[in-house]
Amino acid sequence: MVRHTDPPVTGPTRVLRRLTQWCLAPLPAPPAALRRGPMRPEVFRSRLRSPRLTSQLGVALGVAFGVCFITGLLSHLIQHPPGWFWWPARPVGLYRFTQGVHVATGLASIPLLGAKLWSVYPHLFSWPPARSIAHAAERAGTGVLVASALFLLVSGVLNISRWYAPMPFFFTAGHYWVAWLAVGGLLVHIGVHLPAVRAALTRPTREPRQDGLSRRGLLGGVAAASGLITLTTVGQTIRPLTGLAVLAPRHPDTGPQGLPVNRTADGAGVRATALDPAYRLRVTGPDRSVSLDLAALNGLPQYTADLPIACVEGWSATGTWTGVRLRDLIALVDADPGHSTALVESLQTGGRYRACTVAPEHVVDPLTLVALRLGGEPLHIDHGYPARLIAPNRPGVLQTKWISRITVREPR
Amino acid sequence: MKTRTGLVIGGCLLMAYAVVGATTDADLAPAGVLLFLAAVLVGHDAVWMVAVLAVGAALTRVPPRCRTTVRIAAITAAAVTVVGLPLALGFGRAADNASVLPLPYGRNLLAVLLVIAGTTLLACVSPLRRPRAADRKESERPGGGSP
Ligand code: HEM
Repeated sequence: MVRHTDPPVTGPTRVLRRLTQWCLAPLPAPPAALRRGPMRPEVFRSRLRSPRLTSQLGVALGVAFGVCFITGLLSHLIQHPPGWFWWPARPVGLYRFTQGVHVATGLASIPLLGAKLWSVYPHLFSWPPARSIAHAAERAGTGVLVASALFLLVSGVLNISRWYAPMPFFFTAGHYWVAWLAVGGLLVHIGVHLPAVRAALTRPTREPRQDGLSRRGLLGGVAAASGLITLTTVGQTIRPLTGLAVLAPRHPDTGPQGLPVNRTADGAGVRATALDPAYRLRVTGPDRSVSLDLAALNGLPQYTADLPIACVEGWSATGTWTGVRLRDLIALVDADPGHSTALVESLQTGGRYRACTVAPEHVVDPLTLVALRLGGEPLHIDHGYPARLIAPNRPGVLQTKWISRITVREPR
Repeated sequence: MKTRTGLVIGGCLLMAYAVVGATTDADLAPAGVLLFLAAVLVGHDAVWMVAVLAVGAALTRVPPRCRTTVRIAAITAAAVTVVGLPLALGFGRAADNASVLPLPYGRNLLAVLLVIAGTTLLACVSPLRRPRAADRKESERPGGGSP
């Protein structure tokens, strides 16, 4: 380095430069005797690994994780809307689509992540383990990225299989925060490797003859694996493919009244109160309230709507629901449905999903029903007898069952 | 360089947001998350990958004319098993809810694996399949293929 030609630097710039130098300064190499096992040179000999293969898998995986992150974040915002967030009531099946895409893309990215990690596995044993402080930090960051990517896919698969025991945390919250961790790690990773990726993807390569499997062959294999996973699962939300969905956790027409159930009446502890003849639905407005028994609810104008139950777990199924329009109930207590928010509460005495808030877009929508019937029959108790909420374009966890109370709030 | 600096700084900020969010979320036990992160990392790098490499090494003994096909089949079978096994084990079944995991997943997973095996076999013995240049070359070189 020719020091005297540098312009004179002062203050923060100098500190920054010193810090950079310190981070990039070579660390002493560990004794060569420690270089054993997989850290020896030439242990990993497959010539199939190449920067080009890794880059192509990386781009595909980046797109897949991007799609999962956006659709997942959307699902989170719909369930926990901050003040600025707005979610429409139409198109009816938009959430069914976005969450279906979330789970399908996540599942399809399993072979992608597997192949990507295989292609870079030798780097885990690179020698020396850390060339500099910066190199060590970069490796630690990669570790966080790998762990969080595996975390998302493994926790996702366990969740849709409803096997919660191996996860020592509340799935939704863990999956959510680790998604931020993974996306942050991904951005850093792309920033670090961008030049290498660009070079690998733009430079024409003369690929050496492979031992059996070529790069294209491997990519074809990964695509076949993703395709097969999709084909055997996506029928849980795409009707024409239901027959092929032999590995889908749900079957859209298996369940009471031909529709799957997430939480049963017994699971929610409401069987006795739901079947009690003294049942009343209480609707409370700003100025007055009404109490309706089942006969009174049945006496109000009835409407029928074909609406899907779209579960956060990625399955969906359409039912034919009949009941009272939510906006009619709100008009009963002299509130203006066009400007009202409704808090819909269940007979459940506890639990994360015992109540939900219905925004004005959904309150005014003529398809938003307090349903009393499914497929023409009174609701099965596991579908929310005596009355449940069913609204267009909402996740299933927000379609409150066994409704006991509706509280109308008009904006101040 | 600007793009790269932006990506790295932006990424670090998102990771910091994740850490702060996870530690302040009342619904979350960060220790459980850390444990699971470590478990999947070690499980993948020290167990799963070793198994994959062992299978990959074993597949180098497959006759060269079938090797590509068999490797693709192995990748596909492994991926399908990751999705199908938790269902086949059936820990998610619920006594009070028959609509949860309603299918015979063990049998179905086996059937999918058999379809993969059958397709592979057909592809290998198919008279339509001409040996490719790569395969011919391979057969001249003993002991090719490696982890
Ligand atoms: C096999 C792969 C995956 C499956 C099966 C899966 C499944 C799920 C499920 C079932 C939910 C709904 C949770 C709930 O509201 O109760 C969800 C939410 C979410 N997912 Fe995934 N996921 C996968 C991969 C990913 C990936 C790769 C990312 C991000 C890069 C991601 C990010 C998210 C986010 C941000 C949420 C919102 C969580 C919340 O509502 O708080 N997921 N996922």
